[in-house]
Amino acid sequence: MSKAIEKEFVGSRMADEQQFVTFFIDGDTFGIQAGKVQEIIGMTEITYVPRTLSYLKGVINLRGAVVPVIDMRAKFRIEEIAYVSTTVIIIVEVESRLIGLIVDSVSDVLNIPVKGINETPHFSSRIETDIIESIGQVNDNLIIIINVEMIITQREFEEVKYSGKRV
Amino acid sequence: MGDNEIRQAFLTEAKEIIENLESDIVQLEENAGDREIINRIFRYFHTLKGSSGIAGFTEVYEFSHKIENLLDAVRGGKIEVTDSLIDLILDSMDWIRDSIFTEGEGDAAMNERKSILLGKVGEFKKPDASVEKPLKSEDAAKARAAAHEKEDAANKYKYYRVRASFIEKIFEFGIDPLMVMEDLASHGPIIKNIVDKQNLPEFEGIDPEKCYLSWDIIIKSKSALNQINDVFIFVKDENKITVEDVTSQYMSEEKLHAPVYEKKLGEIMLESGIISENELDEAIALQNVEGKRFGDIIVNKGFASEEEVEHAIKEQAILKKKVENTTVRVDTVRLDNILNLLGEIVIGQSSLSRIAHEMENDYGTQLKNIIYGLDRTTREFQEQIMSIRMIPIGPTFNQFRRFVRDIAHSLHKEMKFVLEGEETELDKTVIERIDDPLKHMIRNSIDHGIEQPEERVKAGKDPAGTITLKAYHQEGNVFIEVNDDGKGIDEERVREKAISMNLIKPDEEASREKLLSFLFMPGFSTAKKVGDLSGRGVGMDVVKTNIESLRGSVEIRSEKGRGSSVKIKLPLTLAIIDGMLTKTGNNTYIIPLLSVMETIRPAREDIKTIEGKGEVVSYRGEYLSLIRLYEIFNIKPRYENPWEALVVIVESGRTKVGLLIDDMIGQQQIVIKSLDNYITQSRAVSGASILGDGKVALIIDIFGLMEDVVSA
Repeated sequence: MSKAIEKEFVGSRMADEQQFVTFFIDGDTFGIQAGKVQEIIGMTEITYVPRTLSYLKGVINLRGAVVPVIDMRAKFRIEEIAYVSTTVIIIVEVESRLIGLIVDSVSDVLNIPVKGINETPHFSSRIETDIIESIGQVNDNLIIIINVEMIITQREFEEVKYSGKRV
Repeated sequence: MGDNEIRQAFLTEAKEIIENLESDIVQLEENAGDREIINRIFRYFHTLKGSSGIAGFTEVYEFSHKIENLLDAVRGGKIEVTDSLIDLILDSMDWIRDSIFTEGEGDAAMNERKSILLGKVGEFKKPDASVEKPLKSEDAAKARAAAHEKEDAANKYKYYRVRASFIEKIFEFGIDPLMVMEDLASHGPIIKNIVDKQNLPEFEGIDPEKCYLSWDIIIKSKSALNQINDVFIFVKDENKITVEDVTSQYMSEEKLHAPVYEKKLGEIMLESGIISENELDEAIALQNVEGKRFGDIIVNKGFASEEEVEHAIKEQAILKKKVENTTVRVDTVRLDNILNLLGEIVIGQSSLSRIAHEMENDYGTQLKNIIYGLDRTTREFQEQIMSIRMIPIGPTFNQFRRFVRDIAHSLHKEMKFVLEGEETELDKTVIERIDDPLKHMIRNSIDHGIEQPEERVKAGKDPAGTITLKAYHQEGNVFIEVNDDGKGIDEERVREKAISMNLIKPDEEASREKLLSFLFMPGFSTAKKVGDLSGRGVGMDVVKTNIESLRGSVEIRSEKGRGSSVKIKLPLTLAIIDGMLTKTGNNTYIIPLLSVMETIRPAREDIKTIEGKGEVVSYRGEYLSLIRLYEIFNIKPRYENPWEALVVIVESGRTKVGLLIDDMIGQQQIVIKSLDNYITQSRAVSGASILGDGKVALIIDIFGLMEDVVSA
């Protein structure tokens, strides 16, 4: 961690600052509200589940609970790679249910002042915008803040339901 | 007791009273002369009044007081029970319910409602001249009572004593006494069952083809004597069967077991005549104002002596103990937690069992035996816990009386409402979640099924339509039926709608079952106009989803002109089942043992392909459809040829199929973990479970699997 980031992290939080768990996917940095993250675990055996969203890889055993896991690369339609030692699963809580997000690797927990997405007009993304909550900036790094509640939308869910195929 | 606790206790009590009240008031409408019901209703309002006063709901207290006075006049014969009186009582009860639970007191709209209601109450109590009035109402009541007597008798429970002793060689006649007994049991709950084992010889001497047992049974049933006798019609001649009506003996016994409930101090003192009603009311009002102890107020005002108060306090304590001894209120969350813990024990046991099986020596055998014992204990433990959560469906069914009445009135149709199997028990969660689906089905029946009275008379039917709600246990499942004797479902209209929705082509053949199954599609409704109740097309598909989320299934049957029947099937055990572990490719799948008939390795020639049916496997002289599990789940198997792998013969309902799997791993108790809706759309997967080695295995639902195959 650079000194600058350290100061912001260790220092008191400012009014429009929140805490985020940041992680990497294909070189980009993303963040999720720290309050929504329950834990981070290493890659573990995934049980395949038939007839589901293409980015839902299956379910895992989290200390006795059966939790579904989503591959974020697949979700963002980025080329999928083999899981390596740094690949982790971030367990988040959405509407009192747990979901696991598979990401390349995890970074630090940061206090970030947030800017609305409208404030960065040149921003173009290969990711669908409803999942992006806002953009944060720490020094020169842009951190894409993700809204976990929008991870699986009703629309996608319906598509699987009525097509009967993997979407 | 703190203020908040008093409030909470009152809310719980009020809810129960209001539920009972609703049912009773509607019953009063059908049995206007029934004094018992009138008295009960009066007591309910009286209790509501008292408790609301103590809990600080002053407006409710005052209002209930007025209604209670009205009812006092009714039970004294001064006011006749008429439709408008019933409406008034129902509306008043609604006001009280809203006041307590939703609107609170002092709301302008509520005040207006109250004034209107009180105005009506005033009109009833207008002192109307003659002594003749009370007599007339009594006569009318008597006439109504006589007319309803026949119906009453049919609805009342009777007790029968059945003594059955079969001849030894009865099996040789192809008769199984057990089937006869099960038939008997379908008429109602068995209260007492004594099996006479006198003639049973020592184990070595038992001939399995002889019947040595006889039964002495007490059964509680609404059926008539001849119906019970009919159960034994084929065996009556050669065997010793006696059926006696012993209702008189048992009815009095039931009164002894009347429910005991906690009484308030004031109530006790009132009932024993120590204080008068006015004094009681005054004391309650004072208590709200001064906040002193009830007993103190009574003594201070001189309504009773200190000794009398002490005596009443002692009586209250005794009653309280009696209630505490018989029941405990348990938070269902705690029960859920216990079940979860039990689930973890079962998983732990599986791990132990696996290790024990890998141990070759003596220790291994000892360990295995201990684990078998543990297994039996957890199984029983589970059954006990499940039974705590089981409550009879009666109260839920009874709640619908009001519902049926209201709908019937608004649609100008006449309705009769019959309940069967009220004592059937279901898990509390299931009962709570089945409430809405049932309401919807009843609504549908009344709205679409039952015809207007004139139409019915023209068709030679009773002008009043009948809706029957039936609940019973069968083969580890609970069945609930909603039957109506209306005009049935119009297949032609269904067909037209299906064509317009592109579900089938205009010239395509469709079986009746297929047509009826379309009713469960979202957006499907053949109602000509959208009534204010149903016909919005949101209905049956939501009902189906709700019931499937309880791992149940729903089926519609109908006969044109005669009526329709919707049958819901729900599993009794929600959490732990016996499962067969199977492997296909790299995946482990669990098949519920209940569905498994046999596992075979077919010969090459046993596998054929039949035109129009697809692949089949020969099993005991039949050809059953062969389902390749790896195809359904889109995975890579180890074996594609059935003669190199295994085929599990599974059954759901009356259909059997052969399921192709790679290998069978074993059998164990499975703790079912449900999967959220979005995780999979496959109906073949009903849940997941965690195996002894920590891996997750999906549980296959055979019924869903067959559905998926059919619709693929």
